[in-house]
Formats: sequence, structure tokens, C-alpha cells
Amino acid sequence: MAILINRKTKVLLQGITGKMGGLHTKYMLDYGVDLVAGISPGKGGSKVGGVPVYNTVPEALEHTAIDATLVLVPPYAAKECAIEAIESGIKLVVVISEFVPIHDTAYVKQLAIERGVRIVGPNTIGVISPGKTKVGIMPGSIYSPGPVGVVARSGTLTHDIGATLTEMGIGQTTCIGIGGDPIRGMDFIDVLKEFAADDETKVVVMVGEIGGTGEELAAKYLETGYPKPVIAFIAGQTAPAGKRMGHAGAIISGGTGSSASKYTALAKAGAIVTKTFSEMIAAVREALATEEARGRQLLGKGRAAGI
Amino acid sequence: MRLFEHEGREIFAKYGIKVSAAVLVRSVEEALKAVETLGYPVVVKAQVLTGGRGKAGGVRIAANQAELIEHTGRILGLVIQGEKTESVLLNEKIEIAQELYAGATFDPQNGLPVLMFSTSGGMDIEEVARTTPEKVLRMHLPPTQPVRGFRIVDFLRGSGLQADLLPKVAQVLQKLIEVFHGSDATTAEINPLVITRQGEVVAIDSKMVIDDSSLARQQIVPRFEAGTPLEARARNGGLNYVQLEGNIAVLGSGAGLAMATMDLISHYGATSACFLDTGGGISSEKMAEALRICLATPGVKGVLVNAFGGINNCEWMGRGIANVIDEDKPTVKILVKMRGHSQDEGWKLLEDRNIPVVKFGTTEEAVVQIVGLVGKGA
Repeated sequence: MAILINRKTKVLLQGITGKMGGLHTKYMLDYGVDLVAGISPGKGGSKVGGVPVYNTVPEALEHTAIDATLVLVPPYAAKECAIEAIESGIKLVVVISEFVPIHDTAYVKQLAIERGVRIVGPNTIGVISPGKTKVGIMPGSIYSPGPVGVVARSGTLTHDIGATLTEMGIGQTTCIGIGGDPIRGMDFIDVLKEFAADDETKVVVMVGEIGGTGEELAAKYLETGYPKPVIAFIAGQTAPAGKRMGHAGAIISGGTGSSASKYTALAKAGAIVTKTFSEMIAAVREALATEEARGRQLLGKGRAAGI
Repeated sequence: MRLFEHEGREIFAKYGIKVSAAVLVRSVEEALKAVETLGYPVVVKAQVLTGGRGKAGGVRIAANQAELIEHTGRILGLVIQGEKTESVLLNEKIEIAQELYAGATFDPQNGLPVLMFSTSGGMDIEEVARTTPEKVLRMHLPPTQPVRGFRIVDFLRGSGLQADLLPKVAQVLQKLIEVFHGSDATTAEINPLVITRQGEVVAIDSKMVIDDSSLARQQIVPRFEAGTPLEARARNGGLNYVQLEGNIAVLGSGAGLAMATMDLISHYGATSACFLDTGGGISSEKMAEALRICLATPGVKGVLVNAFGGINNCEWMGRGIANVIDEDKPTVKILVKMRGHSQDEGWKLLEDRNIPVVKFGTTEEAVVQIVGLVGKGA
């Protein structure tokens, strides 16, 4: 199953003729992504890595169906590209661009909500369902298919946790970076809901960081009862207060947004909180074993009842 | 980026919000000249970016020339929460009938712009919101829809404001929303917004924060917080760098990864000399500069490079590191954990120079290794 994207997802790349566009066209094709088209106004009719280029999204839609788009354009162009995708009816828009103005994100987020479109990002690595497809810029080789869902604010931490899980022989259903900005499309809660409904995802790893309130809001949601084990890790335990740690969203100010407050909220909500990667891996292993045992038990009961 | 009060007032005026008459001065001589048009009494206000200037003695009323000389002289150079006052704003003294608060910001819970209003103006609004939340009205403004005037009047009805003031105040709020969107602000506050004895609505202070990602399109020259020389150098190179006091420099290809690496270093009993996040899209040159800054960090005994070739690739990053090794021949211990696009090419560049590389291990293993190489001493 996986969430958001699967083997059949037809992917568009907005910004395909840029330097990054060309590079990631190659990486995506190498990974087996069904990259059906690219957009670059004024360059319609050409091809990048064998992928047809169109001037506009509506033009591309005359030639192919599109399920998801990767927006890989300069920050001030991201808003128009996202609006074009949303208004053209694409249901999943992944905005990679970093330094997108916050007012642009707020507008796109609201428009997407009104139109029933899902936005991932901005300032994200995107989404990967390992072994199936990716709509993102992550190196596919470090991820592997399996039963763990990963959601993180930080892109590089998504990579690192994906790679660590893979090293330990634990695969993933889907890994998603929701982005490092203070306002983002899908937030933890939206992704947690997707994982809850996905049969293949047995355990969820949630990776937060200092700043903002996304983790605390997710904790409130988890408190209402979540069907799967959630293992949480918060980056920035040793970050000094008042300093912006790289991401626009990562700053501890006025006592709010510290890793301690996030850990406390998540622990109270029943998440398994871990402070190091080895603790996290151990917790994932244990949760998977427990879920597997429960699955066997249910199966046994079902058989006994003749189902 | 925070704006000074006088900069925010200029923006308010540009959008048609009436502001009290004021003149920015940088010396007592300038103040004496400015007061000729403003007259006495005059309010002398320190122009600083930090809060709490009132409590720190940064706002005074001068009734005559002697007081103006005294207050201006004292406030210029006054250090408020570590920030030296370089200029003061002389403000006409307004006869106030009522003090209000008006603000626009983003609601972090849902990403929507939110308009805020209170008749408890002139006070610390965060304190008012904490102790008497019912006194701060809030209205979300979906950015895809126009804000209708009647909605604002309707919103203000519950504030306790006199009926005859509703349309006048609503007009200012409408303009404040225009300021908020038009100047890419993340915060636009007027505190206090006053009703004068003559019944006018006038802004006598401003607090504005502009989104850092929008400075270029707003044609605002970035003004950075004071930092160490290395922090300034990193900023110029487009790198996020925070200087700390330990001995292991953390160079990460992303903020989350670099922070988690620092956390693990601390967990294993050592301390970080710095946090450096290269951001995405790193070139060889940028990686080289990042490494050089880490190597120049005071107290550094080891550098842990923890990077992924995602939007950037490992060959470019490896070449940057290799160039520093070849050109600078550093003696500080360097450990590189790097994976992702073009990793084989990147690894080869490092191995050719005998730089230890963690290829498939975890961040935790890399941290244990660098702590072992460098030792735990601070």
C-alpha cells in the first residue's frame, strides 16, 4: 500500500529544464519513477532525459494523466507553479524549493485545502515509497521497503533515519519530509492519519525538531487514540535558546518550542519517546515484534472462528 | 527581520495609517533642531530592536530644552538587553483618550493570517492574552478571500469599542491587513493605537517583523544580528552557523541532521564546537568554505561532516572537502559520513587523501568514532 504515492503514480516535474531539474530527472528515472512530463514555459516540445517538456500544466494534461507533481523552481516562482498545479486538478503537490516567502505558502496551503489538494513542503525532500516510487529529491538507495512509516520535519534527518533503519534491516512503507518552514502543507497530524489508514504500515517513526507547535498538536491528536505504535525523536535537545538553527522554523523562543516540551507532550500522548538513534531502533524493533505477535494472534483467532 | 519603530511607522504611513509626527535623530544637536517643528512636550524613544525599552528607561517625556538634552543624551548609547541605542525617535505628545492594540500575524496552528484587537492597548499584549484571553479578539483571514470591511466592523462589535468609533478603527485595521500582506510581514502590530481627544485614530508605535525569505522582493537590505566574526563570514557564504564552546565541529547538510548530531555528541559525553548547516544545493566551493569555517572555530579538535547527497551530490561535496585537504593541509581530525547521489565518486576523493569515511554506518556510530578520536575534554 504505502501512503500518498505508489508504483502507479504518474509524476510531473515543474522546473525540468533547470540544472536541478535535469539532475533529478535522471535520478528519478533511475529509481523507476513514472515521470510522465516536465514543465518549462517557453521550452515546450523539447525533451529532458527522454521526458517530454510542455509549456504549461494544462498542456501536459492534454497528453497524459498526472497524479503528483514535484515543484523544483526558484523560491519566488514556487507559488505560481503550485497554483497552476492545484488549479489544473493535480491532487498531490510536492514543493521542494527552499526560502519560499511565508505569505506564498500560506496562500497555497489555503487554496489547496479549498480544492482538496495535498501539499507537501515547501523546503522538503519530498516523499518516497521505497521500492515503488518517489516524488522527491532523496537518494533512493538509502531507503528500503518494509513496514515502518517515517514522517519528519527535517529532510536530512528523514534520509538519516531511513538509512539507519535500512542498515538495521528494517524497511519503510513511506518516508515523508513535511518541511522545515514554520508554515507547511501537510503537517504531522495529516501524515499520521494517512499512516493510521495504511494496512502495510505497522509502526510510525515521527521525527520532530525544536520550534513551533506541530509536535504538540500531533500529541493532542495522538491522545484521542492512535491505532499504531508511534516512536518519536526530537532533534535540537542541545540547541541554545534564541538561536535560529538553520531552519526558519527551528528556534526556541520565550520558553516555547523546546525539545523538552515536545517530548513531554508526546510521552503523555502515549508515544514512545527516544533520545538517541539506537534507542529509536530498539523501540522500532520491539514495537514491530509486538505488532507481529498481535497479528498472529488475530490470525489464529480468525482461523479458530473459521474466517 | 525585525524593523525599527521608525521604519515600521514609515510603512504604516505609506499604506495610509495616520501616525503621530516624529523625527529620527542621532545626536542631541539633531534633537534640538527637530524639536523646533515638534514643540514641547516631546516624547523621546530609544530605537532598538529588542523589547522592554520602557522598563529599561528608553522612553522619556521632555517638557523643555533642559530635559530634552538630558533625556536624549542619556538614551543615546543606552544598552537595552545587550543592544546599544544608536538613534532616538522624537515624537509629538498626543492627547490620548483611549489606548488600543491592533496586530496581524500568522496562527502557527493552521497557517492562517490572524487579525488581533484589544481595547487593552499600551500594555504587554502577550501578558494581556495570558492573564485575560477574553480581552484579545482574534479573527482568521483566509488569504484566498478578500477581507470585506463589514466583517471587520462586525468583528470589532464584541470589543467594547464605542459604536461611533467602529468604522474609523475598522478602516485602520483594513489598512493594517494591507500592510501585513503587502510588506511580507510575519508580524505587524500597532501598540498602542490611540484615539485622540479630538477623536482621531493614530498609530504611535510600530512593531514589524518581515519574513527573511521575502527581503529581496521587498527590496530590503538584510540587517543581521550581531554575531561572532565567523558567524558573519558564514552568513556571507550562505551558511547557517552557530558558534558554540565545545571541541567537535558539526558540519551537516541539513539543519535537523546537524542538530541531531549535536544531541548525540552531547549524549556521548562530548560537546560541539559549532553547528553548521550547509542548506540544500551545496557546491564544491560552498562545502570548502563550510569546512574552513569549522576548522577556524576556536577550540575545535575534530570535525564531523554528516552529509547526504540529495539535491546536491556527494561528488561535489567530496571535491570541496578534498580541495581544503590539498590546499590547507589541516591537522585537525576530520571524519566524514556521507551517502547519497554519486557517493562512490565522493568517497574515492576522500579515501585518496586518507580521510576516514563512514560509508554505511549510522550517525551514532560516526559520533562514537569522532568522540573516540578527539576525546571528551571540553
